[in-house]
Amino acid sequence: MSAAVASRLTAVCRQFQRVLTVSSHTQTQYATRAFSTFHSCQQSRMYDSWRFRSLMNNRAVHTSCVRKGLEEFFDLPENWGEQTVKSGAPWTAKQLRVKSNEDLHKLWYVFLKEKNMLLTLEQEAKRQRLPMPSPDRLKKVERSMKRLDTVVEEREDSLRLLQTGQERGRPGEWRRNVFGKTFWYRFREHPIPWYLNSRYKRRRFFEPSHVAPYTRLSLEKYLRSKIRKEKREKRNQKSLAAMFPKKTALASDH
Amino acid sequence: MRLTALLSMAAKAAFPRDYRYGTNRPWTIAAQRLNPPGKKRRKVFVEPIANEDWHVLRGDTVEILSGKDKGKQGKVAQVFRRRSWVILEGLNTHYRYIGRSGDYRGTYIASEAPLLLKDVTLIDPTDRKPTDIEWRYTEEGERVHVSVRTGRIIPKPVYQRRDGIIPQQWKDGPKDTSPEDTLQKTYTPALKTLEEEVMEKMNIQEDRRPRKSYWY
Repeated sequence: MSAAVASRLTAVCRQFQRVLTVSSHTQTQYATRAFSTFHSCQQSRMYDSWRFRSLMNNRAVHTSCVRKGLEEFFDLPENWGEQTVKSGAPWTAKQLRVKSNEDLHKLWYVFLKEKNMLLTLEQEAKRQRLPMPSPDRLKKVERSMKRLDTVVEEREDSLRLLQTGQERGRPGEWRRNVFGKTFWYRFREHPIPWYLNSRYKRRRFFEPSHVAPYTRLSLEKYLRSKIRKEKREKRNQKSLAAMFPKKTALASDH
Repeated sequence: MRLTALLSMAAKAAFPRDYRYGTNRPWTIAAQRLNPPGKKRRKVFVEPIANEDWHVLRGDTVEILSGKDKGKQGKVAQVFRRRSWVILEGLNTHYRYIGRSGDYRGTYIASEAPLLLKDVTLIDPTDRKPTDIEWRYTEEGERVHVSVRTGRIIPKPVYQRRDGIIPQQWKDGPKDTSPEDTLQKTYTPALKTLEEEVMEKMNIQEDRRPRKSYWY
C-alpha cells in the first residue's frame, strides 16, 4: 500500500517538475523581453521617473530568471513598518492628455503594479489587524487609472467619429420589450446569425396586443408625475422667495 | 456593465428627501442619532445662494453681527453650504461633556455652535472693519474679492490641507514624477488607435484575422 502511495507521489512530483520547467522557460522569455523594453526606455530619456514607480529603479531588472519579481508586490524597504507614507497628488486628466499613447500604455501598467502592491499591503494589514499606512494612496491610484481610461476613451471616440461617424463603439438600437417599454438594446457578439439562433428567436422584442393599453397609461402616469414635480419646484421657489425676500440696494447686511 | 452600475449606485450615499444635515458628518453615529430612519422633523428652510455668490471661505476672518459673541472676529474653521452655516474657531461656544462612560462624567469642553451666513460678514484686512464684499475681475482676468467700502482686494484665505501638505514646501518622493516630466508634451495626434500605435512601437505583428461574427 505504501509502495503504491510512494509511486503515486513520485508521479505527481514528476508532473509538478514538468510544470515548473515550463513556467521557468516562459519566465526567461518574459524576463528578456522586460530587459529589452527597459533598455529602449533608457535610451529615450523621457521616462526618468514616473509617479508611483520609477523605471530607473533597479529592482525592475531581472538578472536571473529564478527571481520571479515578487518584490514588486511590496513597497520600498525603507517604507516597511512606517505609520504614514508620503505620496504626491494623483495625475489629472489634463496632465494625461498631453502624453502620447505609448506613455499612457506604460503608465497604465505602472499604476497597475502600484495598485497591486497597495492591495497586498491592505490585505496584509487586515490579516494582522493593524491600520493600513496611508490608505489614501489607493484612492489616488484608482482615480488616476480612471482618468487615464477616460482620456483613452476620448481619443478612441474622436477617431471613430472622424473615420466612421459612429457615436458609440458598441452597436445597438432602440427596441421595445415585452412590457411595452422602449429601451436601448446593446448588441452582443454571436458566432451564428440570428435566424439560426433558436434562443434569440424565442426573445420577444415587441409588445403583445394586450399590453398596448398599459403603455399609454404608464406614459400618462409619467407625464403627470413630471408636471407634479415641476409644480412642486415652482411652489417651493415661490415660498422661499416669500421667506427670504431679495435685499434691495438700500438695505445692507450690517 | 450592469454590475458596476449597481455597485456604484450602492457606493453613492443615498439620503432621503427631508434629510436634516447637522454639524456631524453623515457617516458618524451622532448623525445617525440625529436622523433615525423613522423620524419626521419640521423642514429647515435655507436661503438659496448661488455657487458664485458664496463669499465666505474656510480660513477667512469674519466678524459676528448678532448672537452671544456679537462684534468679535474669528477665523472660519468649517463651512456647511447645505444649511448656510459657518463655524468659527472658539467663538459662539457652549460647553458640554464628551466621552462619558459609566460613572465618569467625561471631559468638559467648549464646542462651537454654527452661525448663519447672514449673521457674519467679511472683514477688510487693512482696517479690520466689516465690509460688504463683491466679486470683481482684475486686469489679468482673475476673479477676486473686493471690499465695496474701501475698494481694496481681499486675498484668498490660506488654509492648511487636511493631510498636512503645504504645496510650496513639497519635496517629491522616489515614486513621484517631477513637474517638468509631468507637463512635458509627448502626444502627437495621429489617425491611429492606442492599440495600433503600441503594436507598431513594440513590433508586434498581428497576422490573425478575426473570424466572422454577428452582432445582434
